[in-house]
Amino acid sequence: MTISASASGAAQGMTVVARTQGQMVRRRFFRHRAALIGMFAFGFVILLAFSSIGFGPIPGWWDKTYLTTGSLVNQGRPTLSVVPEFLGGEGIHLGEHPFGQDNIGIDYFALTMRGAQQSIIVAFIVAIVATSVGTLAGAFAGYFRKKTESFIMRLTDVMITIPILIIAAIVGRTFGDSGIVILAICIGLVTWPMLGRLVRGEFLSLREKEFVEAARAVGTSASRIIFRHVLPNTVGVIIVSATLAVANAVLLESALSFLGVGVQPPDVSLGQLIDTYRSAMTTRPWLFWWPGVFIIAIALSINFIGDGLRDAFDPRQTRVRA
Amino acid sequence: MIAFIVRRLVTSFFVLLAATMVIFGLTSIAGDPLADLRELPGADGERRMADRIERMHLDDPVWLRYLNWLTGLFRGYLGVNRDGQDVGVMLGDALSATLQLVLAATVLAVVIGVCVGIISALRQYSSFDYGVTLAAFVCFSLPLFWVAVMLKQYIAISFNDWLRDPAIPPTVIVVLALIAGLIWAAIAIGDRKVKLIAFGAGAAITAVILTLLSVTGWFADPGIGLIGLAILAGGTAVGLSMLISGLQYRGPLYAALAAAGLGVLLSEILTPVLADPSWAEIFGLALATVIICIALGYGLGGLLRQQAITGAVLTGLITGGLIFVDRLLQSFASYSDMVRGRPISTIGAGTPNFKGDFWQTNLDSAGHLLLPSMALVLISLATYTRYSRSSMLEVMNLDYVRTARAKGLPERTVITKHAFRNGMIPITTLMAVDFASVIGGAVVTENVFGWQGMGTLFTTGLQQVDPAPVMAFFIVSGTAIVVFNMLADIVYAYLDPRIRLS
Amino acid sequence: MTTSPKEILRVEDLTVEFPTEDGVVHAVRGVSYALHEREVLGIVGESGSGKSVSSLAVMGLLPRGARVHGKILYRGDDVLKLPTRRRRALRGGKIAMIFQDPMTALNPVHTIGDQLAEAVLAHGLIPRKQALARAKEMLDLVGIPQAEQRLRSYPHEFSGGMRQRAMIAMAVINNPDVIIADEPTTALDVTVQAQILEKLLEVKDAVNAAIVLITHDLGVVAGIAHRVLVMYAGKPVEIGDTDSVFYRPRMPYTAGLLGSMPSLETSGGRLRPIGGAPPSLINLPPGCPFSPRCPLADATCTAEEPALGEAGEGGHLAACHHWRAVAEAPDPTALFHIESEAVS
Repeated sequence: MTISASASGAAQGMTVVARTQGQMVRRRFFRHRAALIGMFAFGFVILLAFSSIGFGPIPGWWDKTYLTTGSLVNQGRPTLSVVPEFLGGEGIHLGEHPFGQDNIGIDYFALTMRGAQQSIIVAFIVAIVATSVGTLAGAFAGYFRKKTESFIMRLTDVMITIPILIIAAIVGRTFGDSGIVILAICIGLVTWPMLGRLVRGEFLSLREKEFVEAARAVGTSASRIIFRHVLPNTVGVIIVSATLAVANAVLLESALSFLGVGVQPPDVSLGQLIDTYRSAMTTRPWLFWWPGVFIIAIALSINFIGDGLRDAFDPRQTRVRA
Repeated sequence: MIAFIVRRLVTSFFVLLAATMVIFGLTSIAGDPLADLRELPGADGERRMADRIERMHLDDPVWLRYLNWLTGLFRGYLGVNRDGQDVGVMLGDALSATLQLVLAATVLAVVIGVCVGIISALRQYSSFDYGVTLAAFVCFSLPLFWVAVMLKQYIAISFNDWLRDPAIPPTVIVVLALIAGLIWAAIAIGDRKVKLIAFGAGAAITAVILTLLSVTGWFADPGIGLIGLAILAGGTAVGLSMLISGLQYRGPLYAALAAAGLGVLLSEILTPVLADPSWAEIFGLALATVIICIALGYGLGGLLRQQAITGAVLTGLITGGLIFVDRLLQSFASYSDMVRGRPISTIGAGTPNFKGDFWQTNLDSAGHLLLPSMALVLISLATYTRYSRSSMLEVMNLDYVRTARAKGLPERTVITKHAFRNGMIPITTLMAVDFASVIGGAVVTENVFGWQGMGTLFTTGLQQVDPAPVMAFFIVSGTAIVVFNMLADIVYAYLDPRIRLS
Repeated sequence: MTTSPKEILRVEDLTVEFPTEDGVVHAVRGVSYALHEREVLGIVGESGSGKSVSSLAVMGLLPRGARVHGKILYRGDDVLKLPTRRRRALRGGKIAMIFQDPMTALNPVHTIGDQLAEAVLAHGLIPRKQALARAKEMLDLVGIPQAEQRLRSYPHEFSGGMRQRAMIAMAVINNPDVIIADEPTTALDVTVQAQILEKLLEVKDAVNAAIVLITHDLGVVAGIAHRVLVMYAGKPVEIGDTDSVFYRPRMPYTAGLLGSMPSLETSGGRLRPIGGAPPSLINLPPGCPFSPRCPLADATCTAEEPALGEAGEGGHLAACHHWRAVAEAPDPTALFHIESEAVS
């Protein structure tokens, strides 16, 4: 590969291997091992949550639903076993109720999957709304300056004085009963200011940024600097913060539901499950463990993806191996 | 400076005013404030509904209710909740508990987070760096309430149980020693041999200390003791001198060692004062420490007077802190008896009707603060670690750090003088932002640990669609955030001379 | 020969490599030169030719992970083998450096006086007052008015030219033998550039130092350097006395550089630029690295990389298979003229 690259390079009269920004970003991302694992894990969780119990009219492969109650088997203990028999365990099997049952005999796997679905949907809507509004506001403020800027900035000042959890809780209390989509949109509408500031800062600094000089140092032409380096750079910041916003939204939603001001019954979410069963902690800890594990798995994998994206988009990233 | 503060206060006032409008409006329409009474049957229900409608002025439009509340606020009156209790009185009790929690968490997170972040940056791509990065990511992804419940369930209850017979099983000692060894090996720089030595030494020292603690039943009746105090204070003196001026210069080293020695000596002489002091006395002692240490640094510092004073004062204060912790630990056994052997509390901000001396009372609040602040710290800690790491990495690659090296400065000075201060500039901004999220987190933590703090004021008020307590919560937290932001700006301007406060 | 000044710095076959995720960057591929007392050596080349990296290697300021081989002899001692403390004593003491961008090279949070005094204190424990007095003396030397007050100023209160003067003051504050100036005037206004260069020479004479002047601007070198080293793709391709290199270049690249320089004589006519771009330092083509851009390139050039060798009298060295053709051409820069017209 090296030979052909250098040979063709010599033929063209230069050996700079020209890669587009997109190719470089993709390459750097796929080299980020944690990000790959994160992407794989997140894909698995989504697949599991939506295929197991189905979504809307589409049926899933799991034979129990999150609504049907049943008789308690072995006090609702989880039947999932991962310890093989030769290690003194029960062998690897799922069993009837891998995650156990709640106090009225609902299959807890189905319930957790339902909660994961709803939490993921809420998180994505929150992140998309907050990112769009934040990007627009930030871009307007950074581009038009003067009155638009000071108006938007004062607005974000007001919003930033209120901790995100507080304003989201108030909004959640108001719109929690209207279903998860409305709830998510409303939370998105009050959590954009930090992102807006970020985008504005990016717009302002991009003009005077010094990586332009770095690009010049490796022999990049002016138009290429502007179109291939400066412009995608804002996109990078936006994509990265949008990704991290999804992770934060998962955590925010679960915290709100835990406080009782988020997703309301009959909808379920991971945070709401923990809230519902928090008193069962001492007697039936699995009701508490599973949703928690899924919240962490989702948030962690998205955070890793976000980190991978940040590394991939950051033009300063040419790591020197020590 | 004063002009800046005044101007900031004026803008902050209007920002807060706008925010109160938003919050009052949203809270008032958040649901039906009469929901609980509608289910009451007959005349009783109707009468109580009429009462509440009158008390909360529910017949007035929201904006009028807001103006009403606002005029009350300017007269220093926070209104009544839906049951007619004075919110001002409720706030008074809640305030100190929550402030303690939030401040403890913020201070701990900043100190630990920044230290870990800097070490991680200086050892970039080492296994320590990777470990810290991974841990930070896990912390980022933890739901606060889940951690809090876990801590409550496993740490507090199990730890209290264990304290009845505080022996550490040998397997645990081995595991902890191995972990400690791995951490030291990860921090050490050098080839495989150096790392092996670091691993061995770290593991062995940890194992010996743990065994000693276990055999002597230290956890049942802990304390640092005079010898431990001397070792720790001396170590602090040497470590700080190494960091500030380098060990080849005697002046600063002697000044720091003198400060440590004097501190240890005084801890014995002052025993009668320290038996049951007041906070005023403690602060007086701290002040005296600073003055004496400045004198020591001045006298012994020689040509490196400035560094000597810094080193001596820091050593003196840390030694004082160690003495304070020692005294606290000494009264642990008696305190543990007073609370029937459950020193780590899971509920509330203090044992009800607790009466003890200075140390026992403080131990009581510490025991109650421990878990909630641990939970709260865990979240901010990750943020501070990541930010200070990346900030330090960025600064370490800047031209002026290269200039500093080109001058022939030792790496220690390059880091402490040139990189650290610049690296901390963005952290001040982060502190302002993070403080708001810690307040938000405090609401959740209080909920889990059953504190009657401001968070409870907020959650109950919100659930009951009762604006007065919610607003009281916001007035305090909003003001705190604004003040904290302003402090952050002032620190920023102090650190960065390019910024003018005007 | 007895009057010839002593050699103070000798670089032998220096190579610097950076392992990156894309492969190993061969930033410097065998640089050798010698520097004598009070001499001015110009190192010329495009960005990425390895001129800055090689001098950072001399200073020991390369980032962690860089692999340095070869010898760097300061008065006979190989600095690459010195223990950390002695190497540090050399850095800023006997060998000082001035950086390209004075806007970023000074720490914004410390005063000028503090940053100057610190350089003195790093190489000897003396009272701070004395160090500050020395700093003031140096600011006077580099021509900063009201030096006493200026010690208390912060870098952002200085103009670009003044900051570079402060950098010069900082470099010479410990009476170094060697000053490495890395593009000291590139970031400055043209009017200020001349002042700074003049000041640099003045200060050099005041402390009896030699200068390694790194620049991509041949005009800067022409005026002040005794000898010139031209670098391309991490290697020296021509070295010789300044006049000899300028009036009788032996390497097409040098000729190209000369042709790319606007001058009063060619006004009205067009510049004669070198086409193409420098090669990637990760995948170097076989043969002469300049051959893809060279008008004289033939099969030999793409097959075999020429070694730096004797090319005419007076110690003039060049790395080119066709150095005779270049040397005999009536106007070597015209080689590129033809090429660029043929292309357009």
